[in-house]
Amino acid sequence: MGTFLGWSIRRPSNLAKLILLACLSVALMVADAHHSGTVRAARETILDVDHPLQEVAALPLGLWHDAGRDLRLNGRLRRENARLKERERGLEVKAEQLAALRLEVAHLSALLHGKPRTPGTRVGLARILDVGSGPFTHRLILNEGRADHVFVGQAVIDTHGIVGQVVSVNRDTSEVMLVTDPDSGVPVISERNGLRAIVFGTGSLDRVKIPYLTVTADIRPGDVFVSSGLGGVYPRGYPVARVIKVTSNPNVAFLKIRAIPLAHLTYHTHVLLLWPRAQARTQVTHHG
Amino acid sequence: MDNPLTPSQRLLIVATFVAAMVLAVIPLPASVELLRPDWVALVLVYWCMAIPERIGIASGWVLGLFLDALYGSLLGEQALAKALLAFLVLRFTLRLRMFPRSQQAIAVGALIAISDLTVIVINSFAHGTRFLWSDTAPMIANIIVWPAVFTILREVRRRAKIS
Repeated sequence: MGTFLGWSIRRPSNLAKLILLACLSVALMVADAHHSGTVRAARETILDVDHPLQEVAALPLGLWHDAGRDLRLNGRLRRENARLKERERGLEVKAEQLAALRLEVAHLSALLHGKPRTPGTRVGLARILDVGSGPFTHRLILNEGRADHVFVGQAVIDTHGIVGQVVSVNRDTSEVMLVTDPDSGVPVISERNGLRAIVFGTGSLDRVKIPYLTVTADIRPGDVFVSSGLGGVYPRGYPVARVIKVTSNPNVAFLKIRAIPLAHLTYHTHVLLLWPRAQARTQVTHHG
Repeated sequence: MDNPLTPSQRLLIVATFVAAMVLAVIPLPASVELLRPDWVALVLVYWCMAIPERIGIASGWVLGLFLDALYGSLLGEQALAKALLAFLVLRFTLRLRMFPRSQQAIAVGALIAISDLTVIVINSFAHGTRFLWSDTAPMIANIIVWPAVFTILREVRRRAKIS
């Protein structure tokens, strides 16, 4: 029992409450269906209260999504890792090749530009096709031949000194005898004091000999011999050999001198062919 | 009216409703979605049975309003359904308490189904949706989970000494 404006009334019965609220509900629904602004505002207010609840509800799904994404990401990263590793291996090989190429390019550019040109000569690049090296023959096969105006007796050099001379010429290739060939002899002159000598090959790629110097000759280890230009095969002024050991035997009239060739005979794949300027000029006149 | 609720007890009851509402809107795969019980209705039924002097028609109605906002349904639709549900439970509360658990589950399921029916009818009026047999799946789910809900909430009520 309660009172309402002075009248004593009974507590409303459940049915009465239900009917009242049902009417209210229907009114709300009708208003909502007609897009009443008030009802929309009420809905939004309630939604504000509901919002954290929705957040909480969305949490597990969010976690699930994140976990799924992480797993997928993990798999993708693994695959990517494997792919990149494979690629890296390929790139390493390429890098090795690149390093080799870079070395070759450096060598070639040194051959072509680094060497101060001797006046009166012309140089041309030649690729080494083959290396023949028995105990008694040190030969190179070059990819330049008669068609490229290579001639027998032509000097072959690299950036460090004289390599040898052309001994036979085919149409497209030529054969070079190295300065270390036992048949090779290069007229040289000592850079230090102008002492004349001849450098002979020994059949060993890192040895040459300088015979026929008397015990009185002024020669000592470290002396560098350059080509003298005598004999007409090799042009003047190219390094040929450096003395490393001088042995004097009182029972022998001559010194025993061991020297090393200065050209890098066992390195690289390109050498330079040397043409005297006169030769080049005659060619020009021939053509003209 | 004999034992007014303490604030913490009040808060606990509200918390059970909030938990039910979270369960009601947690996103689920479509296949499981169909069998999602009406958690809020179950919790409402329990409290109406347990403390009919505190939780009743008005509580159900307000709860329904929150659900309407949450579901995005017509404002008042769930309110009416939940008010009706509370009314029905209050009407039969003594009998419900006497039933053995399985029978109780079926009876509760039936009451919730009746209140759901109002929602279906209102929907068909408002949006012209047809009744689908798949709508009955949650009603069956209600019957299945009722014993568990009842046990858990009774434990909660006893621990909190709500009577």
